[in-house]
Amino acid sequence: MKKPLRIAIYSGEIPSTTFIERLIDGVSKSNVEVLLFGNIKHNVKYDGKVKTYGYFNNKISKLWSLIKYSCLLFFFKPKDKKRLDYFLREHHKQGLASKAKFYPVLWHTPDVFHVQWAKGIKDWIWVRDFGMKLVLSLRGAHINYSPIADLELAKMYKNHFPQVDGFHAVSHAIAKETAKYGAALDKIKVVYSGLPKLESSSYIQSKSKQAALETSADNELQILSVGRSHWKKGYTYALDACKLLKQAGFKFKYTIIGATNDMELLYQVKDLELQNEVCLLDKQTFSAVKDYMLHADVLLLPSVEEGIANVVLEAMALGTLVLSTTCGGMDEVIVDTKNGFLVPIRDSKAIANAINTIATLTLEQKGEIIERAKKKILAQHNEDSMTSGMIDLYHQVLN
Amino acid sequence: MQRIGLVLLSVPGYSETFFRSKIKGLQENGFEVVLFVLYPPKTLENLPCEVVVSPQFNSGFFSKSVLIFKALLQVLFVSYFRSKKLYSLDRKDGKGIKACFKNLIFNQFIISKQLDWLHFGFGTVAVGKENLAKAMGAKMAVSFRGFDLYLSPLKRNDYYKILFQKDVQYHVLSQEMKQDLITNGIKDNRVLVITPAINTTFFKSSAVSKKRDTLKILTVARLHWKKGLEYSLEAMALLKKKDIDFEYTIIGIGEELERLRFAAYQLDVSDYINFVGKQSPEAVRQYMQSSDVYLQYSIQEGFCNAVLEAQAMGLLCVVSNAEGLAENVKDGETGFVIPKRKPSLLANTIEKLLYLTNDQKTSMQEAAINRVKEHFNLKKQEGEFLDFYRN
Repeated sequence: MKKPLRIAIYSGEIPSTTFIERLIDGVSKSNVEVLLFGNIKHNVKYDGKVKTYGYFNNKISKLWSLIKYSCLLFFFKPKDKKRLDYFLREHHKQGLASKAKFYPVLWHTPDVFHVQWAKGIKDWIWVRDFGMKLVLSLRGAHINYSPIADLELAKMYKNHFPQVDGFHAVSHAIAKETAKYGAALDKIKVVYSGLPKLESSSYIQSKSKQAALETSADNELQILSVGRSHWKKGYTYALDACKLLKQAGFKFKYTIIGATNDMELLYQVKDLELQNEVCLLDKQTFSAVKDYMLHADVLLLPSVEEGIANVVLEAMALGTLVLSTTCGGMDEVIVDTKNGFLVPIRDSKAIANAINTIATLTLEQKGEIIERAKKKILAQHNEDSMTSGMIDLYHQVLN
Repeated sequence: MQRIGLVLLSVPGYSETFFRSKIKGLQENGFEVVLFVLYPPKTLENLPCEVVVSPQFNSGFFSKSVLIFKALLQVLFVSYFRSKKLYSLDRKDGKGIKACFKNLIFNQFIISKQLDWLHFGFGTVAVGKENLAKAMGAKMAVSFRGFDLYLSPLKRNDYYKILFQKDVQYHVLSQEMKQDLITNGIKDNRVLVITPAINTTFFKSSAVSKKRDTLKILTVARLHWKKGLEYSLEAMALLKKKDIDFEYTIIGIGEELERLRFAAYQLDVSDYINFVGKQSPEAVRQYMQSSDVYLQYSIQEGFCNAVLEAQAMGLLCVVSNAEGLAENVKDGETGFVIPKRKPSLLANTIEKLLYLTNDQKTSMQEAAINRVKEHFNLKKQEGEFLDFYRN
């Protein structure tokens, strides 16, 4: 029987973010062994073939890991250890923390080492010298704006991207952006993130006609945004749009989940006298967010930067109308007025106008848009396609 | 001789001229100043007055226990009566026993001093210490400087509820702030407006003529959302669309650099914007000298010294109507005041400056220079502070 591929999916933390965990789950169920390294925040039970070689965030755990792998390498792979130690010395990384981080990877030597965050690529270039292939995921901020503001980072990307064996881009837009830093386009594979089957099947059906009628019958339009309070989410533009809507006498309620206690937004709400129209909520559980989505008339993504926002995919799958800016790869999912609505970035007036348009849609028009949105998500953002896309990429770099 | 205790979060740095010149001015006029700070200075700061640093109770268990023990001894043997009074006043305000006890411990570094005035340099520093001055038999003063009145209470309901019930003399930077305090139930005669002031001999206009094709625009600001720099950059993108030849320099550092650089990039004006970081006062003056327009399109602003400096240097100023800015610049006379959060209006206003005649420009510049010299000089401010304490 063919030996399964051994893939390290590295984000630095175990468990990682929701979408990286989805990737681990999907890949590990496809005759691939997934290896996890890094800092264990808490123990996780995985269904598939996942092996965790991390350490807890305390000195004893790190020290134990360091001693164990130092001994294993010293007795069984002394030459490799010597080479890595030389590399670490050359790059001024001979500290114990670095060794605790790198030795387990050298000992287990996966076929592919897949780094999730571009800013960390510099630390892992060495794996190629030991027969491992290096794959990098290209996600949001790490590519889209950090290297624009930080020229040193841009320089680091330009130095190291040509050495990477393969790239996973979350959208065509980000693939194009990455080419600016010396990544060869033929090494970049676009693999869209996939929603779990649970959402694309049972939840996709769950927005009943009754719920759709309920939301439409309300006098005020329920607008929802979901996401942490960060400038890239563009909430300031959304609030300026709310002011325009209010001035025009438009009745609405705008809820932002995840943006409570943001001083800038709190002040803007007060300054624009939107206290009765805008509600800033704490982060909610996944199921509570779904509930909010089901009862919203429109999910607004006012971001100035995104890869492809998962929250939009989820809303589309659930049958909630979506209004998004054209940031990042959003226009690879949404076709304006066909399966959702698109407006330019940094344009409050355009957001307000689009909300006005949405409010005038008939139930039939809404239904058609929602259906097309669901189909798009099913076709483009299912977990099976994501998993097979990633495995194709791994095979590609190994061949 | 009156003795004034000034309470701040930390020792004012060398560049924080306001508190330094205030302390110096008071001392020159026979006042004695003691500075109380809640956090120890990171670098050695030479100040010409006694500096008392609060013990740091957030240290390890052992040192924390020692500090609490020392404070308890002080309660019993040094400040017994004052501590008793502070405790009972805090209890009257409805604070719990634990909170009152904590307050006693935390304020021992101030309570035993003999003072005529206990002056809190920011509203936020006075929260929790509302009864301290009374317990010490001193008069209480609080300065509001902008963010503490408008931003700090946003996250906490009734943040100043107890403070506003106390017998306090308030110092604010603008008439608008005074009105806002009156709205909160403070009596008119308890609030004194003392505007910021600048060194008008350092910041003065030079006779160098500025004839050039590129419009040079300048802002001096911390890179913080409240400075409205993202809206300013949007206005710059509109100026570019209008084919106006300009260059926009932003002096200052801050947490929003990434946001602003990215905004400039997306708005396709990166080539027109210079982020030059923190600069010395001499360099700021140099930048002002070589600029045509000073821009301060803030979302929230107490008053803003940089705008005073720019007016004193004879720059045409365009500012937002955020709080004190509308008093800092007299709209149409010493510059232009326009509503905040409206980049297209800002772009139009800057464009309008290009069409001003030389006479119009000169009369506006002269009006600005004269007004700053007359109303915002350090001598006048010093006198106002003396009156503040004497009356």
